[in-house]
Amino acid sequence: MTTRSRSVTTGWPLLLRLALRQDRVVAPVAIAVLVLMSVASAAATPGLYADEADRVHAANALNASPAIVALYGPVLDVTSVGELSMTKMTVLYAVFVAVLFVVLVRRHTRVDEENGRAELVGGTAVGRDAPLAAALVEAVLLALVLGLLVAVGNTASGLEATGSLAFGAVWAGTAMVASGIAAVAAQLSASARTCAAFAAGAIGLLFVLRAVGDTGPQWLSWLSPLGWNTQVRAYGEQRWWLLLLYPVLSAALVTVAVFLRGRRDLGSGLVPARPGPATGSPRLADALSLAVKVHATTVVLWSVAAGALGVIFGMIAPGIGDLLDSETAQSLIDELGGALVAAILSVVAVVLSYFSVAVINHAGRDEADGRAEIVLSTATSRTAWFAASAVVALVGTAWLLVLTGLGLWIGYVAADGPGVGNLLVAALAWAPAAWVVGALAVLTLAVGVRRSALVWAWPAGFLTLTLIGDLVDLPGWVKGLSPYSHVPSVPADNWSWGSAGGLTAVAAGLLVVAWWRFRERDIG
Amino acid sequence: MDTERTPPAIEIRGLVKTFGSFRALDELDLTVTTGEVHGFLGPNGAGKSTALRVILGLLRKDSGEVRLLGGDPWSDAADLHRRLAYVPGDVSLWPNLSGGETIDLLIRMRGADPAQSRRAELIERFSLDPTKRGRAYSKGNRQKVALVAAFATDPDLLLLDEPTSGLDPLMEQVFNDCVAEHTARGATVLLSSHILSEVDRLADRVTIIREGRVVETGRLTDLRHLSRSKIVATLSGTVPDLTGTPGIHDLAVDGRQLNCTVDPEGLPVVLTALTSAGVEALTSSPPTLEELFLDAYRDRAGAGR
Repeated sequence: MTTRSRSVTTGWPLLLRLALRQDRVVAPVAIAVLVLMSVASAAATPGLYADEADRVHAANALNASPAIVALYGPVLDVTSVGELSMTKMTVLYAVFVAVLFVVLVRRHTRVDEENGRAELVGGTAVGRDAPLAAALVEAVLLALVLGLLVAVGNTASGLEATGSLAFGAVWAGTAMVASGIAAVAAQLSASARTCAAFAAGAIGLLFVLRAVGDTGPQWLSWLSPLGWNTQVRAYGEQRWWLLLLYPVLSAALVTVAVFLRGRRDLGSGLVPARPGPATGSPRLADALSLAVKVHATTVVLWSVAAGALGVIFGMIAPGIGDLLDSETAQSLIDELGGALVAAILSVVAVVLSYFSVAVINHAGRDEADGRAEIVLSTATSRTAWFAASAVVALVGTAWLLVLTGLGLWIGYVAADGPGVGNLLVAALAWAPAAWVVGALAVLTLAVGVRRSALVWAWPAGFLTLTLIGDLVDLPGWVKGLSPYSHVPSVPADNWSWGSAGGLTAVAAGLLVVAWWRFRERDIG
Repeated sequence: MDTERTPPAIEIRGLVKTFGSFRALDELDLTVTTGEVHGFLGPNGAGKSTALRVILGLLRKDSGEVRLLGGDPWSDAADLHRRLAYVPGDVSLWPNLSGGETIDLLIRMRGADPAQSRRAELIERFSLDPTKRGRAYSKGNRQKVALVAAFATDPDLLLLDEPTSGLDPLMEQVFNDCVAEHTARGATVLLSSHILSEVDRLADRVTIIREGRVVETGRLTDLRHLSRSKIVATLSGTVPDLTGTPGIHDLAVDGRQLNCTVDPEGLPVVLTALTSAGVEALTSSPPTLEELFLDAYRDRAGAGR
């Protein structure tokens, strides 16, 4: 038994070193950004309030807003400086932590299997479960590093040390659970993209479960690890025992993953691949129809997520109506990122613009792998190939924003919200900014960077800028670099033709430059 | 076929392509006459794929002249591509598209109709399962998908980059038959390879390149004249002393058996001497492309020293 279990993971230390080497840029940068967010938040928040009474007032105002609670979770101890400082970090940014660890684990398991690297490795003296073992060990190591850095950073920024340790443990725990989720997702389907969809869906579900639980039946929050993040009460009366749940759940997920791994072949999924059609549809005949077909599943998944999130937040939003009577409360909520729907949209819209970046990144990989070459050796012009991805990316983002707006409206009406504003317009107000981000990704592709994943630098940079801008007093022009900063908080603010027109013009200009550049450069 | 009046399918003069400081193609010349099978030989990294990509208008040339089917491959790419089919050396497919879907897509993208094509027959001949998804195919099967798409219609020009590197011998035979069928109807084929036997069987003319330059080009028969014949003779009489005969190399005598390689100009002298000594058995083999290839290298390497 021992020999067997040893043999299936033989060689994992070697693979671990390989994995760490592959992630030597992504992991440190992502961890640094996350830690920086937390540290900046810890350092800046106490200064925003004159005295404890002011702070308690703010915390109560947050708790009184179901939309805010749905997004960030409640402040359980209103007198705690730490808890108020970590409002956004505890749950919402923990989702970013989860995403990072899903990316890392998936990268060393399913992605390697799909592109054949795992087969190369599997042919050597390396055990069947070694890639999974290496990926999970890496994840645990990085989770501990992240947790420790956050704990140290928060303490250094003036928050109490014990609480910071508990908070670091919460993030590390979230990371471990996310790694377990990714490990299971990697076993289910032969496709790396489906694996990502399963994992994203699971995290989305846990987030929604907590959002509903925090604003309604409390027990639902206890079903979600993201709900535990709040319930640990890192900066209040810590529930240390709760921290044990993360490794337990994580271990359970890994056990499931290993069990599933033993029941499938390398490169295949547990969900069997259905045979495809023997002939192609006549509609699949050019670059655009190809791009639509390639991204169809992704678009459907994003659409369901956007619509569902819209409905859920739309239903939560009306509860805020009473709160708006209090002028102080309203101004406080405004400070935290615009009012109500606008606050939700500001998060959802930023996430939706990642869709366009993902599509462009995919086009970059098509080029690197030689699929673009095959298409361009047919009668397909460069312009047609290039435009296909740009259209799917930018129209797709707008479509997802429309769905979010519709979802918000449906939810709002269903919950008898007072004075329904034009939520569709509110959602679409974010389209021009999202287009600028998409167009910058397109430009990056057009210039011909070697590593197409660099397109992610744009949204990551802007997100960082926005988040830091919330906490630290950056010069206006630095904040203004992010297209998101020019979007009015509709419906709290009025729709601005200037902002919409300006951003759209910038996006259009970027696309023209990109197209001109792409026509002139080498392919591949 | 009257090749004199038809412009060449591909005409390249002094083509230079650099990547940074690396000269991938260095004053390359290549002429592919309409209707011929042209072998494009060179080791890995010689610049074969780079040349094909310039021919396809995927890469921009630094200098030189490139004409493809009478047009400019850079500015008229899409139009010219209607008349050709390309099979890359390393075929990468869309993971979620089936082989059949990919084949039909590529045929449609070249402006042809899959229903009017020979796709069904070719899928049968290459014994390909068209219902598998792209991610499930092996290297050989990915190559078959690209080959079926290329052979299914009647393009004027077939650009094949190491097309059989993943195929088993049985499938190589199917591939050879397909090339023969297309040349029979007048198509031009440019076949890049480092597998010499493959080109030996199919090509009318070859161009051998190395480090982005042409080492040798011409009809296979002409090239063979440039090289030596290998002679093994068993003699009944006294073995003549051929040492010092002009054009003779690698001379070895073992009892009554004589082995040597002879330049074409030395053959009359050697054969006369052997005949007068009385020949019991004689084999003379033409050099294989392998040897041609090594010769070309040896000469360049020798000249360089």
